[in-house]
Amino acid sequence: MAAPNLLDPKSATHNSKPCLSFSAKSITLSPREECQAIATVMKWKTVLAIFLLVVLYLVVGAAVFRALEQPHESAQRLAILNQKLEFLSTHTCVNHSHLEELVKQVVSAIRSGVNPAGTLTNHSSLWDLSSSFFFAGTVITTIGFGNISPHTEGGRIFCIIYALLGIPLFGFLLAGVGDQLGTIFGKATARVEKMFVQWDVSQTKIRVISTVLFILFGCLLFVALPAAIFKHIEGWSALESLYFVVITLTTIGFGDFVAGGSEIEYLDYYKPVVWFWILVGLAYFAAVLSMIGDWFRVISKKTKEEVGEIRAHAAEWTANVSAEFKETRRRLSVEVYDKFQRAASIKRKLSTDLGLNSTPELTPPKRILPVNFTDEREREPVFPYMTKNGSIFQNGLGGEPRRGDVAIIEYLK
Amino acid sequence: MSSWYKSWILLTGFILFYVAYLLFGAFVFSTIERPVEDKLKRDIQVLKEEFLNQSCVNATSLENFLERVLQANKYGISILPNSSASSNWDLASSLFFANTLVTTVGYGHTTPLSDTGKAFSIFYALLGVPFTMLVLTACVQRLMHLVTYGPISMCRQKIGLEPLAATAVHFAILLLVVVLGFFVVPAVVFSYIEDTWSFLDAIYFCFITLCTIGLGDYVPGEKPGQNFRSLYKISVMVYLFVGLMMMYLVLRAFHRMADLHGLTSFFQLPHCDEDIEEDKEPIIEAGHEDQHEAEDSAKPLDPASQTSYNTINR
Repeated sequence: MAAPNLLDPKSATHNSKPCLSFSAKSITLSPREECQAIATVMKWKTVLAIFLLVVLYLVVGAAVFRALEQPHESAQRLAILNQKLEFLSTHTCVNHSHLEELVKQVVSAIRSGVNPAGTLTNHSSLWDLSSSFFFAGTVITTIGFGNISPHTEGGRIFCIIYALLGIPLFGFLLAGVGDQLGTIFGKATARVEKMFVQWDVSQTKIRVISTVLFILFGCLLFVALPAAIFKHIEGWSALESLYFVVITLTTIGFGDFVAGGSEIEYLDYYKPVVWFWILVGLAYFAAVLSMIGDWFRVISKKTKEEVGEIRAHAAEWTANVSAEFKETRRRLSVEVYDKFQRAASIKRKLSTDLGLNSTPELTPPKRILPVNFTDEREREPVFPYMTKNGSIFQNGLGGEPRRGDVAIIEYLK
Repeated sequence: MSSWYKSWILLTGFILFYVAYLLFGAFVFSTIERPVEDKLKRDIQVLKEEFLNQSCVNATSLENFLERVLQANKYGISILPNSSASSNWDLASSLFFANTLVTTVGYGHTTPLSDTGKAFSIFYALLGVPFTMLVLTACVQRLMHLVTYGPISMCRQKIGLEPLAATAVHFAILLLVVVLGFFVVPAVVFSYIEDTWSFLDAIYFCFITLCTIGLGDYVPGEKPGQNFRSLYKISVMVYLFVGLMMMYLVLRAFHRMADLHGLTSFFQLPHCDEDIEEDKEPIIEAGHEDQHEAEDSAKPLDPASQTSYNTINR
């Protein structure tokens, strides 16, 4: 799912033509200003790692849910069994099987949406026009509460076909709404920027502040306010209203709490307003969820960057150290060579002083002569290019002076 | 200014059309379902009266009792004797629940009862939903190259079809394979395992699940005394995940095909591709996928030439 990139700094500055796109999940959207299409693919290892992470996340969630819910469930089960026994004992003319039969029928009736409590007359149908409208809406947005569901074969077949056509349609609509939200946000941010630029605040600060404001304002308008309204009208607790809002706007839609699903007398315009809220709230939530997804990406990118930086630092350090080594070797060999030169010149002086016994002494210098030549030829240009050529140079020089040294030392000895 | 104006007009048009579509659906559902509902109402009233006539129970105590039973039933607890002794919150079922939460299917056959459970679900969903979407998109991206680009280029090279025809043929085959493999075959399996489901019910279930609507009127593995319940639930989870991936794949292939055939420009949707992750390697050629590990530079394509299969093959 790539939802609107409303919080991308680029989109705030470039108020270019809104860009709708049909993304993978039909109810989410991805308007991108700069449609940079890079034909790239993730490595297998990364995908596998993320997949394992998701599995781990699921297992952890399962364990936590089990720990939280199982005690409650056992308590409820005990309570209801007690109720049954109590009922049977107070009303002795009822036998087990009759009661169970009744309960079974009642449960399946409730599943079909018929509430046998009270009498027939004061009931609104679950399939009158406004409720069917609401049901159609839940199918199209893929929320799917399930408190109402079709029971006839014809209804089910029609539901399939209806959803096949309606879900992409809703995807388009959501893309459009999200887009408008994005442009409004972009314009507002631009105006805020113009204001703040006079006060010489850095751009990143403005972006961060505007993002935070967007989140807060959106939360207030699409989450907190509706939750308060539901709490007041439906009589739920604060947590239950918030729970309903989140479960609906992420399109999970359990159906244990449904706005407009209880036996209260609702105002006429209540359900259409709820539907409209769902539409805009879905666009907002798609933005928030994509932002969270962006954070995951940024975090993974940052981690990669940091790892990359560490690697780069390590490589740099290794390169420096090896350069140091090579430099030292070069210097050492130069010193050795200098010493050798001096020794050779002293020797020559001595030999010229002492007479003609220089031929055997010439051989060691002769052996080293090619080294001298290459040395003299290559020494001057090498100096500016220390690392690379120096290393080659060192390699070339490395062997010979040693041999030469040995010869000199032998000779001098 | 005119493009902005146009986009507003387009949006209003969409909204109106969408409202009309909803009204149409409401009307049809109402016409189909309402008679059945009325009959069921009458039947249950008759049943209640019969029960009350035969026994010494008075109406109010029965009402109270029924209310309590239904309240418990809403959370998946049944007082019928052959209800499953296993909990709704053992590890496999909790895993199943977490999975329905995170893929936004949300059946609702079991819902958190405690306040802490509800609060935890909120945070879990807020993190888990984008996470799952990320994973699915990543897998689909990878699969696209195996399933779409590869066969299409092969198609073009060996059979020598034009790109337009090749993509259409490929999309038709892909659709057929997905429908057979992920709707028909699982529906047969489900209708066999679950006694009370007919084949139509099973197909309905597969469709409602894979579109992540998740009404919850049919949930596999809820039969009392189900053999290998944990294994069954986990395999349903795997089916859900893989099925969702295939739906995304089909949708993506359709989008690419629509781009190529110019449908996207007809609907005035610019060609936007999503770059989801930065740690990608570029595909130099569709056929040389083994060598892409060596390359490190990304070649950005501009939007106009982006999604045609030609550019990818180059």
